[in-house]
Amino acid sequence: MKLKEFIKSTLASYFIIVTLVNVATLVLGSIFRPEQRFGYEAFLAPLLYGALGLIPVFIMYSPKELTIKQIVIRKIVQLIALEFILVLAGFGRENLKAENLALIASFALSVLIIYVLVHVISWVLNLEMARQLTMDLQSYQSRELRREKD
Amino acid sequence: MNEQTMEIKLRRIEPEERERVEIYCHEVNDTVREIAAFVKSRQGQLSGLIEGRQYEIPITDVFFIESVDNRTFIYTAKQTFETKRKLYELETDLKEKSFLRISKASVVNLMKIKSIKPALNGRLRAVLSNGEEIIISRKYVPDLKNTLRGEA
Repeated sequence: MKLKEFIKSTLASYFIIVTLVNVATLVLGSIFRPEQRFGYEAFLAPLLYGALGLIPVFIMYSPKELTIKQIVIRKIVQLIALEFILVLAGFGRENLKAENLALIASFALSVLIIYVLVHVISWVLNLEMARQLTMDLQSYQSRELRREKD
Repeated sequence: MNEQTMEIKLRRIEPEERERVEIYCHEVNDTVREIAAFVKSRQGQLSGLIEGRQYEIPITDVFFIESVDNRTFIYTAKQTFETKRKLYELETDLKEKSFLRISKASVVNLMKIKSIKPALNGRLRAVLSNGEEIIISRKYVPDLKNTLRGEA
């Protein structure tokens, strides 16, 4: 994948991540800190987490076509890097304590869920594009066969 | 053939005579073979080798053409032929015959694609009518869209 296309697809992922971080904050916040109130600066958090979540995306970049095996290995490394960056950014070294274990585990789980959802949403968008292309292909083949007969 | 440029003569013939291309050369080298292959491809055939033996392949039988380690291979439903020609040359010659570049290393016969499915990492895969699958790179998707919609 060329760098330009890679940046384009990364930007699409960014907006999906930001939306899902909002949803995760709502769910986790309602469970663990329902009494918490925020100021306007809270709107920055999903954008910031979205940007942090993009850092490991570059693990997937390669100017050459990756094999399935290479893709799977890089995806696993990407997920580990993502968990590490976001947990560290979310809690800081001083809050990584045993007493916060439930919260940290839920946070890590929500990162995993968002990671999977981003891929599922991208897959669904790709599936729709493939379906449309198959329909275009069938029209093209009928047109070409008609042209050959004429 | 020596280093001099080849002389080219074009001659009109009577309608009842068979049209033909004849090459007069000092030796049948790669350049001569390339010219012959080009003429064949314009007439709906490609030349391919299997274990050093040359075969004529009807273009309509070709599923896709792939370049691997600077070698070019022609794939039909069941056979693989090697050709001396470069992928970009075949891409240009076969453009009018429903062939399209879908990745850095492959050109596919659009008439042989059964369906298009999503692949990992934002790519697509073309499922061919013989069941084989080849990857379509994102870079070539706009070209594919335009060609299929007749906008190319």
